[in-house]
Amino acid sequence: MRRRVWNVVRMEWAGIAATPSSLLFLAVIPALLVGQAIFLSWIVPRFVNPAILGPGGGSADSFRLLILKQFPFFVLLIPAMIANVFATLSIVEEKVTRTLEPLLATPVRTWELLVGKIVAGAVPALLVAWASAALFTAAGFGLGWGPLLRILFTPTFFLSMFLLMPAVSLMSFVIGVIGSSRASDAKAAQNLAVVIIFPIFALIAVQVTGLVEFTPLRTLFLSLALLAADGLLLRAAVRLFARESIVTRWK
Amino acid sequence: MTDRDVISTHGLSKRFGERVAVEGLTLAVPAGEIVGLLGPNGAGKTTTLRMLAGIIAPTSGTATVNGLDPATAPEKVHESVGFLTESPGFYERLSAERNLAYFAAFYDGIDAKAAARRGLERMGLAGRAGDKVGAFSKGMKQRLALARVLLHEPRVLFLDEPTASLDPEAARDLRELIVSLKEDGRTILLSTHNLTEAEELCDRIAVFRTRLVALDTPDALRERQFERRMRVRLAFVTEGWLAALRAEPFVRSVEREEDGALNVRLVDPDRDRSRLVARIVEMGGQILEVREDERSLEDVYLSLIEKAAP
Repeated sequence: MRRRVWNVVRMEWAGIAATPSSLLFLAVIPALLVGQAIFLSWIVPRFVNPAILGPGGGSADSFRLLILKQFPFFVLLIPAMIANVFATLSIVEEKVTRTLEPLLATPVRTWELLVGKIVAGAVPALLVAWASAALFTAAGFGLGWGPLLRILFTPTFFLSMFLLMPAVSLMSFVIGVIGSSRASDAKAAQNLAVVIIFPIFALIAVQVTGLVEFTPLRTLFLSLALLAADGLLLRAAVRLFARESIVTRWK
Repeated sequence: MTDRDVISTHGLSKRFGERVAVEGLTLAVPAGEIVGLLGPNGAGKTTTLRMLAGIIAPTSGTATVNGLDPATAPEKVHESVGFLTESPGFYERLSAERNLAYFAAFYDGIDAKAAARRGLERMGLAGRAGDKVGAFSKGMKQRLALARVLLHEPRVLFLDEPTASLDPEAARDLRELIVSLKEDGRTILLSTHNLTEAEELCDRIAVFRTRLVALDTPDALRERQFERRMRVRLAFVTEGWLAALRAEPFVRSVEREEDGALNVRLVDPDRDRSRLVARIVEMGGQILEVREDERSLEDVYLSLIEKAAP
């Protein structure tokens, strides 16, 4: 059982390793996102009118801190973007290369196949996102924002990094795999991928606008709720993986 | 169905919405036999193989393969059968050995790497083990696909158009491999459009057009469909000879064809062939050629399919 899941994981990784564009994507997208976050944190406070910070204004550092606080949510985009590419193509690619039917002729169970594909994508996506956060922090310290970053390192930050992010990463990949197994072609699968990114944008918007303050307790509840939803979505993914129509209707 | 049957179906049917793909298929295949499924495109051959291999479920009817029901225990069936799909389907950026090892690792109790190497050797691809499958020819991919089917040494094989789109040499090589699999005592259900291949490989042929039209050995199908005839070419023929031959008790009919040859139907072709020759010689006829007018499997197939047309 575990052997079959691990077999799928290793094959997915071998596929990524054999595709230079995939490796490049894994490296470039996080680098761009982190670079953009650092650039914005550096440049915007230099030109901002202190008046927009409210009566009495504020320092550039307080504005920078406001931007830095968005980073834990901003970085959630990384697994979502990686899922956008890898998860949405995971099943469609098997259809295109005609490997799905021989695969379904082996004793692999649907859930083993899907869990293998989800884990194979979610784990590197998570590692890349954590590496990006580490890079961002290191760059921040390098730019002399150490005192601000220390303010940022709250329990919410750590819950967000180590509980919310894995939950979001899993969800991105589960949704991506569902889309991939239901899509009629690669293009349709990628169109479905917008579903993955949209909730994360919503989360960022909620945080930026201050509609909801993410306290440690709220972040914990949100993470646990998402993990529970991941379990339900995985069950749904197995049910929605219609072997018969995938095999007979795919042209 | 008998105890020897490793594949059996009873009233097996499959519908896709309103469309009937397979209707009421009843079939029994004993161990060690190759049965060919012949039929036009859309006749339900692939659907039948998919149902038996546990890839898709029947709408009605039952099937057993190795004593297992593919509809209720598909994974168990997958462990005991090999299914060669119509398209070979490989991860082309990865090596042949990596591809085979991946598929082998889904079977319990198999050393995947050893099975992959064994498969490559069996198909004569050991020298290309490390090459990317994308660089393989169609024939090599098909051989690799056959190696994949045999990774877990199944005793029952479902082969869906194994030689389709191969060049004649590659097709011949693959047919030789299939013959060697039969010699190992494996039971094979094979779908094909290639009538020569069906005749060469199969013990029995199932002519199929959504439902089973006929199932028998190629010779029996021929006999059932067309009466055996002798074709006799003489240096010259007289009306008197024709009348004399028609009067013989072992002759059922004599017709003269456009090219002058005689088309003779005998009561018992095996027994009466020599009597016919002796009688013609006795009448003074100079025989240029005597042979049984063999109907090709294509004639048999087309005749059966035409009769089965809706």
